[in-house]
Amino acid sequence: MYRGHMPSTRVRIARRMAQTSTTEHLRAEPSPPRRTTRRRSRLLGFSVPAALWYALFTIGPLLAMFYLSTQEWAGLLATPDWVGWENFREMWADARFWQAVRNTTIQIIVAVPIMIFFAFQVGYYLSLKPRGHRVLRVLFFTPGLISITAKGLIFFAVFAPNGLINAMLTSAGLESLAMSWTANPSTALWTIIAVDLWSGIGWTGVLFSVRLASVPVELYEAADLDGAGHVVKMTSVAYPVSKDFVGVMLMLQFLWTLFNSAAIVLLLTRGGPAGRSTTLSYYVYERAFIAQEVGYSQAIGVVLLFIGVLGLVLIRRFVRQDW
Amino acid sequence: MNPFTTDLGSRVLRWGSHIAVWVYAALLALPIYYLVVSAFKDNNQIFLNPFALPARQMFVTRPGGYREFEPLGFQNFQEAWEVVFMGQALRNSFVITIGAVILTLVLCVPAAYAIARSRGTIVLWMERYFSLGLLIPGFAALVPAVLLAIELGLFQTRTFLVLIYPAGALPLSVILLTQFMRTIPRELEESALVDGASQFQILTRVYVPLTGPGIAAVVILNALGFWNEFLYALIITGINPEIRTVQVAITGLQRESTTEFGVLAAGVLISLIPVYLLYVFLNRQMESALTEGAVKG
Repeated sequence: MYRGHMPSTRVRIARRMAQTSTTEHLRAEPSPPRRTTRRRSRLLGFSVPAALWYALFTIGPLLAMFYLSTQEWAGLLATPDWVGWENFREMWADARFWQAVRNTTIQIIVAVPIMIFFAFQVGYYLSLKPRGHRVLRVLFFTPGLISITAKGLIFFAVFAPNGLINAMLTSAGLESLAMSWTANPSTALWTIIAVDLWSGIGWTGVLFSVRLASVPVELYEAADLDGAGHVVKMTSVAYPVSKDFVGVMLMLQFLWTLFNSAAIVLLLTRGGPAGRSTTLSYYVYERAFIAQEVGYSQAIGVVLLFIGVLGLVLIRRFVRQDW
Repeated sequence: MNPFTTDLGSRVLRWGSHIAVWVYAALLALPIYYLVVSAFKDNNQIFLNPFALPARQMFVTRPGGYREFEPLGFQNFQEAWEVVFMGQALRNSFVITIGAVILTLVLCVPAAYAIARSRGTIVLWMERYFSLGLLIPGFAALVPAVLLAIELGLFQTRTFLVLIYPAGALPLSVILLTQFMRTIPRELEESALVDGASQFQILTRVYVPLTGPGIAAVVILNALGFWNEFLYALIITGINPEIRTVQVAITGLQRESTTEFGVLAAGVLISLIPVYLLYVFLNRQMESALTEGAVKG
């Protein structure tokens, strides 16, 4: 629930994929003698506190969202009124909502494929253990360790009018290109995407490399005998073998990009200028905590949830198609 | 096939990929380098020579508003520490992180044990129930969770963060630990049962000691996640310096127009020091906790 960060969010879904195999293993086991069964069902009581905790603080609030989306609130501490579909009707007519949909679409369509495409190649590169791969690994690992706050504040300085990028442009004699990156309508959204890519490619690449390290050496050797170069080995050995994992990463990056941009938008652009960098995730945050329209924000939250589920289903189908 | 062209082509490709990877590495390192050197500079130096190492002296604002040159040192760190009450913020973050990690363990270790050692349809559903949580982004439930905090009278308290962080961490922790516990031979459990040990004793005397690496992975993963968490902390503890976490505190150094970038950089570095120390001492465990955890699936 608290999870805003890349490693954890990614890991979570990857774990889910592990589920299929472990449950099958369970089913395959012969049924135990009756006495043990009784003992074991008592044993299951050990998992009840965790199950309840997770129900109270995660599942409950998530379900409550559907109810909240039908309410009209003047603020967090006010008393709500039932308005039915009114919030959704309002959303349909809200130009800022559609702007956020558009921004989120651009963000996902640009950031996610680029990230996965390059991360896979970085992963393949690292899995070959070239010279300096240890240094690279530590470096690529870093964005997974530092908080979203640290990333946001570092890039606040990097994109500032007197910041790193403009200083570099000036010293290259390109002062004319220098601008206030986060306040310029045509670049604000791209600063958000840049941070996604800056931290995502290397980190996802490290994850790919760990997976690719388990590709049997014989497969590469066979490809070597056929005179295959690295491009062929990557596309016709490494990729098919780890395709399921590519699918998992695609799902994780999609979810991450869709839901977790609120924090970075808040730190870098505050959705501005004039909503040009307002993503759906940030719009939920803004409506709830800045505009104090709790019900309306949750109606957007419900839509966000549906987009998330739809996207996951589509990615699963897409990645499974040519298995 | 002309061997010459393929050879040349693959050589170009090889050097091209070396160069591309190292260029990306440089792009990754640059902002981090910028962060570190800026922490020892004043705005003037940061703006004029962003890449240069810090000069011997810097401009420092004294209480009362007058400014003077001082020899290079930790002035920015001192100012960041004082302006946003970093000491208290660090204490809050430590207390919340440690409390939430302990609570997570207390909840997830028995749950994982039960799931790993039980069979049947109920446990299958239990496992599915937890794995569903892997797909729920924390942000999705932020607003209802805040309303829950208000409802419980725990809005603007550190306690609520200690209570809610484990809920988000439980699905992954339970499933990760379950997999570790499944690798322990059943014979150990059977023989302990013959010796008359209770389930609780088997768990604490047999399973917990044997799943050390799994528990370590869960602790590292969650400690990092809790320490770095931002939006829940921002909304729940707000900007009250008494209870806010270090992540919220450092954003207080960001200003619309008059940001002291050196002080901001120093504040960010202070928030990173505990994570960095953890990484230095637990380098291997940390990398495997974060990567292999993701990959084993």
